[in-house]
Parts: sequence; structure tokens; C-alpha cells
Amino acid sequence: MGIINFPGKKRYLTGIDWIIHVLDYITKKATGTGNTSQIVLELEGSPQEDKFRNCLDSSIRKYPVLHGRPSRDYNLAPYWKISFTKQRQPLPLKISYLDNTSSEANIFSILERIANLKFIGDQEHLFFHLIYAENKTYVAMTFDHRLFDALGAEAFLEMLQNEWKNKDNSFCNKDIIVPAESAHLCNWRRKFIAGQQANRAFLKMGENAPPRVLPLPASLNNLGFRFKVIPFDKHQTDLILENAYEEAGYLMLMPYVLASAIWIMHKLFTKRNIKSGDYVVPVSIDMRPTDKVQQEVFFNHVSFLFFLVRPDEADHFPVLIKSIKQQLYDQVKSELPRNFQEASLLMRILPLPILSNIMRLYLKGQIASFSFSYVGESAYKSSSFMGKKILNILHMPRVPVPPGIGIFFHQSQNKLNGVLSFLEGILSDEEANELIHTLQSRLEAK
Amino acid sequence: MSVKTLKEIENILSQEIATILSIDSSKVIPDTPLHEMGIDSLSFVELLVFIEKIFNIKLMESGLTSEDFRTVRSLASSISQMS
Repeated sequence: MGIINFPGKKRYLTGIDWIIHVLDYITKKATGTGNTSQIVLELEGSPQEDKFRNCLDSSIRKYPVLHGRPSRDYNLAPYWKISFTKQRQPLPLKISYLDNTSSEANIFSILERIANLKFIGDQEHLFFHLIYAENKTYVAMTFDHRLFDALGAEAFLEMLQNEWKNKDNSFCNKDIIVPAESAHLCNWRRKFIAGQQANRAFLKMGENAPPRVLPLPASLNNLGFRFKVIPFDKHQTDLILENAYEEAGYLMLMPYVLASAIWIMHKLFTKRNIKSGDYVVPVSIDMRPTDKVQQEVFFNHVSFLFFLVRPDEADHFPVLIKSIKQQLYDQVKSELPRNFQEASLLMRILPLPILSNIMRLYLKGQIASFSFSYVGESAYKSSSFMGKKILNILHMPRVPVPPGIGIFFHQSQNKLNGVLSFLEGILSDEEANELIHTLQSRLEAK
Repeated sequence: MSVKTLKEIENILSQEIATILSIDSSKVIPDTPLHEMGIDSLSFVELLVFIEKIFNIKLMESGLTSEDFRTVRSLASSISQMS
């Protein structure tokens, strides 16, 4: 089995990669821990610990990119410095054995704690936990978003699965070099025009800035993230799909769940008597064709849509849906995600502290009202992991701070999962429970 | 815009769907529901934008039902009637 090759020991970062680095910088500065996320595989039964460990050890040798770190070239282009010396070090793996009395709540609180763990040093970007509970096992992979986006992380798990099956990872056979943007500023005119287009869109978004946000706790240092998960079963998922079809139209699930998220957040803001500003919600979208995810596993391949919703629109669900659909149409038509991708290439020479300030200029110190993403088709294609049936796949992402709160949806095994991720102290537990209860009611409304 | 036959419209749509999904156009079957081919919200809107650009028809607020959008064939038929 081949090694994924990058030109030399460098993989130049794209503009989007650099944006993700900025979000990591902002979050690390605020909370002490960066922009990390966690994928959890809930398995039926217990995979063998030694086989899992062997599989991880052999994988790390094949993917030295896992131990890289950011650096700058002489021409200021940032790149990921790939370490070929560290590849002999095993990936961190911790094992927990829970007794029969452990509840789902107890397991979840362990997963929550793991999701907030810090990486050690600047070359650790990934670690694993295996939690053996009664009749089930949870495989938690905590990862640095600078190394993977959500689909990339899923695809990496699929690679581990292939490793376990001694199956060739097809892209490795082809010895594909993951294409990376050149270090040099080329096609600058196109990028400049893209930058103009993106700038116009952001200026419009900032007309009524700052956006509506939840106040952050007074002291952020070492605060962790809490998570509330709503795993919808097949019947509930079908009901939600039916509602999306009726209320938003054919193939409008993403606008429907986004509208639902804005609607419940509006209720929270109203209850808290937060009245000024509009809702600004960036939505990350994967720019890879579905079949290309397996070939472009590492780094970030997303762009963003940006939704601006007035409070009076958020009061009425049909009006809200219509607004979101129209904005989606307008932004696709104006190629905003593509323009943002192109324009961000120009920003790579800027140091992270400066770029983080620039990013917050448009919205007067803020980035968004809350984060949102919807992953429709999982990049993890198998129905099992290391011989054990997958019951569910969960994403538990920490969110950039600000805003410190996000709502995320993900489809897996034909079932929808909703996750509320929030910085400790930004919501009370009662508010968080009420939010997810209201979200569930809104999505399943009949 | 010259009047196109239903078949021509189907071919144009099939080609665009193949481009959006990065698949071979032979895999786009006119009677297969779009969601079964892998079209999601974002790629569906890309298709609607394409339709506006090529056929000068805005389908988003056209009053068409979801059934009219469901397959390449039904979409082509709707476009043909509105052209």
C-alpha cells in the first residue's frame, strides 16, 4: 500500500485552510484549546483492542501528514510541514472499560470530556479513545480541524477500516498527489475580482452590524464545550424529510433545518431580551464532488454561504424559509462560495492575528450569531467498523469563539442527528435542554 | 432562445447534472428521482440557476409543484411548457 504523497515535505495551505487556521487561532486565544472536533462511532459489540491498535500504528506510518505543523515559506506562503521523523510515534489511544451499570448519560459525559481535551505540542492533531460499554463500543476520534474537515475525518475512518480489512485504499494505489494551490500568487486578476465580489457581499451583510449574539462568559480561559445530541430514529427522520418536502419544497432539507435552527435561536434570544442586530449565520459547505472525498481526505475543502435574517423574518417560519431559499439561490447564482474560496487565497500572506481582526471588521467584532452546518451524505460508506455493526455516527464539534455556539446536522445510516454545541456558561443547562426540545418539536411538527 | 425539443432539453439537463455530480452523463437516467442520483439542496439550486441561465426561466418561485422537479423528464417537460 502506497503513501499519500505531497510534493516534498510541504503541502501549501489553501485560502480556506488559512481561514480555518484563523478560527483555530481565535478559539485557542479565547479558550486555551483550538478549533477541534470529535467523531464518535457507536458500535454493536466490541472490536478487538490489539487489532485496533495495530491498525492505528500501521496507518500512522503511511500518513506522516498527521504529525505535521504549520510553517511559512520564504515567500510568506503558509504550508503544512510534514514530519517524516515523527511517523514512528504511535497515535495516542486511550481505552476505557465501563461496567454494566454505566448509563448512556455517563458515557456521554465521558465523550464530552474527551471532546474538550487539548492536543499536546504543535504536532499532535489526532487521538483516539475506545470506550467499551455493555454490548456496545464507542470509538471517539478527536481531531484538529486544520487537518481534516468533517467529511475528511469520516473518510479517514474509512481508510482505517480499509486498513483493517487489508483492503487497498484506492487513491493510494493511484499514488495521487493531493493538489494544492501554488505558493505563488498566480491568476491574481481572477482572485482580485473574486475578492471584490466577496467584499461586496460581506459589506451588505454588515449593514446592520453587529449581529445578534449571545454574550460570552466574563472569563473564557479553559472553558470547555458542552453538547446536546438529538439522535432521530428512522421514523422521526422520515417525518422530518416529509415536513421539509411540504414546507420548504423538494430537496430543500438543508434550508429547512437551517430555518428551524434560526427559529429556535430566535426564541432564545427573544426570551433573553436580546433585541438589537440581525442574525448572521455562516454555513459551511463541502466543495468536493462526493466521489472525490476519498481522494482529498486531508485539510479543508469547504467554503461558506452566509445567511442574513432579520428578526421579523425569524418570527414567521414560512417567511423564514422563503428568505433562506432566496438567499441560497442568490448566493449560488453569484458564485459567492467559489469567490470566497478564490479571494481567501489572497489572504494567506497575512499573519493570523491580523487576519482574525480583519475577519471581525465586517461585523464589528463578531463573526456570526451562531455556527451551522449540515452534512447530508456521509463519507463513511461501510456499515461496519472493524467487524462491528455501526449503530450511529455522531459529530461533536467545538465551535469558534466567538460566537461560541453552533447547531449541526448530520445524516448517517439514513438517520438524522442534531447536535447543539455551546461554550460552558453561554447557556444554562435548562436553556440548552429547552433549545433541543424546541428544535425537535419544530422539525417534527405536524 | 430557439425552441428546443423535449429530448434536447433532457440532454442539456442530464449533461449539467453529470457536471454538477462529476459523473458520466450516461449515469443520469431521465426517470430516476434527482435525490436518488445524489442531488442535494445545494446541487439542486445549482441546477435551478443553470436553468435560469440557459432557458431564462426562474423555477424557484414558479409555482411548480415538487413533482414537476422530481426527475429530469418532469423537469424538462415543465421547462418545455414554460418556454
